Amino acid sequence: MKIGTMLGDVTTSLFRRPVTRRYPFERRPAPARLRGRLIWNPEKCTGCQLCCRDCPSNAIELIIIDRASKQFLMHYHIDRCTFCAQCVHSCRFNCLGMSNEDWELAALSRDDFSVFYGNESLRQQYLDGLSREGSAAAEAERAAD
Amino acid sequence: MNAFLSAAALLFFPGGLSLLVSGLAYEWADRKLLARMQNRLGPRWFQPLADVVKLLSKEEIVPYGANRLIFNLLPVAALAGPLTAALYVPLFGLPPMYSFQGDLIVVIYLLSLLTICTGLAGANMASRFSVLGATRTLTQVFAYEAPFLLALLGPAIAAGSWEIRSIQAFAETRWLLLTQPLGFLVALIGLMGKLELPPFDAPEAETEIVAGALTEYSGRGLALFRLGKGVEMVVGLTLIAAFFLGGVGNLPGFLLKTLVLLLVLVTLQAVLTRFRIDQVVRGWRWGALLALLQILVMIIWG
Amino acid sequence: MTNPELISFDSLLENGRSLLESQIIEAQTPEPGRLDLVIGPSDLPQAVQTLVDNHWGYLAAITGLDRPESSEVEALYHFCSGPAVLTLRVRVPYAEPALPTICGVIPSATLYEREFMEMFGVQVTGTPDPQRLFLPDDWPEGVYPLRKSFNPQEKVPQVKPKANGDNAGRYIVPIGPQHPALKEPGHFEFTVNGEIVTGASVRLGYVHRGIEKACEERTWTQAMYLLERVCGICSNSHAYAYVLGVEKLAQVEAPERAQAIRELVAGLERIHSHLLWLGVAAHEAGFDTLFMYSWRDRETVMDLLERLTGNRVNYSANLIGGVKFDVDDEQRRTILAGLDYLEERCRHYLDVVSTDAAFLQRTRGVGTMTREQAELLGVVGPTARASGVDRDIRVEAPYGSYRRFPVSIVIEHAGDLEAKFVVRVKEMLVSISTLRALLDNLPPGELVARVPRRIPAGETISRVEAPRGELFYFIKSSGGDKPERVKVRTPSICNFGSVIHTAVGHQFADMPMLLAGIDPCFSCNDRMIVVRKK
Repeated sequence: MKIGTMLGDVTTSLFRRPVTRRYPFERRPAPARLRGRLIWNPEKCTGCQLCCRDCPSNAIELIIIDRASKQFLMHYHIDRCTFCAQCVHSCRFNCLGMSNEDWELAALSRDDFSVFYGNESLRQQYLDGLSREGSAAAEAERAAD
Repeated sequence: MNAFLSAAALLFFPGGLSLLVSGLAYEWADRKLLARMQNRLGPRWFQPLADVVKLLSKEEIVPYGANRLIFNLLPVAALAGPLTAALYVPLFGLPPMYSFQGDLIVVIYLLSLLTICTGLAGANMASRFSVLGATRTLTQVFAYEAPFLLALLGPAIAAGSWEIRSIQAFAETRWLLLTQPLGFLVALIGLMGKLELPPFDAPEAETEIVAGALTEYSGRGLALFRLGKGVEMVVGLTLIAAFFLGGVGNLPGFLLKTLVLLLVLVTLQAVLTRFRIDQVVRGWRWGALLALLQILVMIIWG
Repeated sequence: MTNPELISFDSLLENGRSLLESQIIEAQTPEPGRLDLVIGPSDLPQAVQTLVDNHWGYLAAITGLDRPESSEVEALYHFCSGPAVLTLRVRVPYAEPALPTICGVIPSATLYEREFMEMFGVQVTGTPDPQRLFLPDDWPEGVYPLRKSFNPQEKVPQVKPKANGDNAGRYIVPIGPQHPALKEPGHFEFTVNGEIVTGASVRLGYVHRGIEKACEERTWTQAMYLLERVCGICSNSHAYAYVLGVEKLAQVEAPERAQAIRELVAGLERIHSHLLWLGVAAHEAGFDTLFMYSWRDRETVMDLLERLTGNRVNYSANLIGGVKFDVDDEQRRTILAGLDYLEERCRHYLDVVSTDAAFLQRTRGVGTMTREQAELLGVVGPTARASGVDRDIRVEAPYGSYRRFPVSIVIEHAGDLEAKFVVRVKEMLVSISTLRALLDNLPPGELVARVPRRIPAGETISRVEAPRGELFYFIKSSGGDKPERVKVRTPSICNFGSVIHTAVGHQFADMPMLLAGIDPCFSCNDRMIVVRKK
């Protein structure tokens, strides 16, 4: 039986730098395989939607603008995503990956969590269309009252 | 003029405000050293102050079933005890503000006022945790009070006086640590028991009874109890440094000696596991025996 | 080629079958190593008594199955002996839902019976404690969540709870639902006399999330992620048990390399879990320094796992049919270096927990459970192994690559808290050496085998050794793309009974330590202080 078996640890620690990581002032680089935000490469997407079906939390929606010419948009809900990477493995054409740089995903409002990926002009068209629909619906409601 | 100086001494330096500030500073040193020993960063210098300010700004809730008057008065009494005891103790390298024959005994009683108020505060409530905590606090008081007193009696007998000022003058001639090592040990560990520092923190065992006797306190009451504890730590360390480490005649000496003692306390905190209350009581029988032995040795060898 | 394991469990099962010959209505062998015996409800206590008298295995779980097509509820009593599983199947009609209790023979069955009663609406007559276990007090009577007729989308009305039992004259100190000693909510009531505990009771379900029911609404792949989140510290074990079961049903075997990588992740998770536990248990004892150091070292293993899998918790390593990622040379080297550091630290902790005088004062001779008590109470995992019971699924019924890279079993005989500490620290050392052997000999091969989306119909049992003990999964498929029933029996529910039993007579200060000794995981286990005015 000994007294103070941790005395060695305790005294050496007094002369060493503490192990506490001083985040956010000091940031360590993330490992290569870190599962951060989802990234989608629309070039190879065929619109099979296996990723959407396998997602455990319905975080991905594929919006089909035109299937024949492979024009798709992806609606990604960051707040629903569990970062499990099942979609990455379900996709047979390697369209999906998880970023290892973008992992500080806190936001101040829910809207920031709703992200659209895809061709820039397609995206703009789609979002404009959505907002037009939204305001039209709102007006219709007001007219009905 | 005299009255004005006395009032200033009582309120600002070396008593009163400066004592409260030094209590916070020693609490910070305790937490910081413990953290560094555990290989982590530890709080910044203003943490204890921030804690007190935060507590003072919180709502005080008197729980159902507690006597309101006692609930509010006990923290005040708890802080008043050590602050009064500080009047007779040589703080910051200065001689004690007041002094009379027998003030050693008075100081020891005043220092135990904090613990007794904690125990009474716990007993005042209906909450299970408070009552258990109060029982443990008061049990622990009975355990270490006698050995602590006996240990401090050693220097008193050697100096042939009950007055702290004279004992300190005697202690400055030789280091009583060397002639009364057992007494020093018992006194130091007794101080840990008094302050409920780990491993003697069974009365406020966080993982068993939430916060012991002070579970239901929040806001002002808790702030006062914490300040009282800080002051008691300073006063206790001063007393032991003054008696066993060759007196605290000047400011650098005071700081150095009390901080070295604090380091010893913190090391013991880091390295030992919390003792169960029945183990504390059993252990203190040995403490009392050692202290008595020390006094016997002293009396026989003069 | 005869498989030596097959021989041994065949003979075990034959033995079991002959013991119960007179009561069998029907016998089936759904898969190698399992025997299902259908018996009548009235024969149940006698059958269980026979098995216990002949020391045939231990009761692992009681699964319930709802059979709306024949208006019956079926109860499955699973008895495990080594790699063999003998199941007693009893059917009761909706019209007369009553079963006799087996608590007279196996007292630890009380928790299983409580869960079965409230989830399926079957009255177990004579059970000692008919209180609800997981469902809250304001859940209405007559609503049974695991019956197929229950629609999870519908809102269940809240009813006024019945006034709780009479506590007059007893001084009860609660630990929970909120308490600094508990990392998760659970309600333990200790009746004390001064500092001595004279009685104890448990109420769980505070983090019950209805995962078993939720699995029935999701595809096989989605269900895996749900099950992974049953628990944070043994999340990989849950996923592992599930995919092993599904692969058995689909009759696909994952490639060897994938199996070895699964064992790698499981071993690292075990080290992580035990280090976490060491810190928490030390904190309960008041030894904060050990807590801080063991959690500092835990960062090493979490960093290894992050580098390997992409996340520090919820590794998401498994796919149905294999694993998601490979281990390349650089990874191997990093992991081996990390393991070297961890081994040195674990040896130091072994020294601390077995020789530190102050710590031993809190752990030696506290919470002692003899081997007989351990077997009677049905405990599993390191809690059982600390009392001399040699139960470890990785050794008795090796799965995955544990045949190729075996682990040695760690047993202590004292049965007290010190033994529990020593067992877990030694298990970490065993894991480290096994992982070294594994990393030096990783078999080549693919990472994943193809598994169809619709899993063929059948029932399977999957048993895995989680860090806390035996994790028991019962998976039933009806041929579709969603599971029909997933039953999760976690190790902690077996061990809670032992706390209640050993608590009496100890000091109240030992209660948090006793709780910590079984390494409770309330999240795994679950799918209020009221001051009464007198």
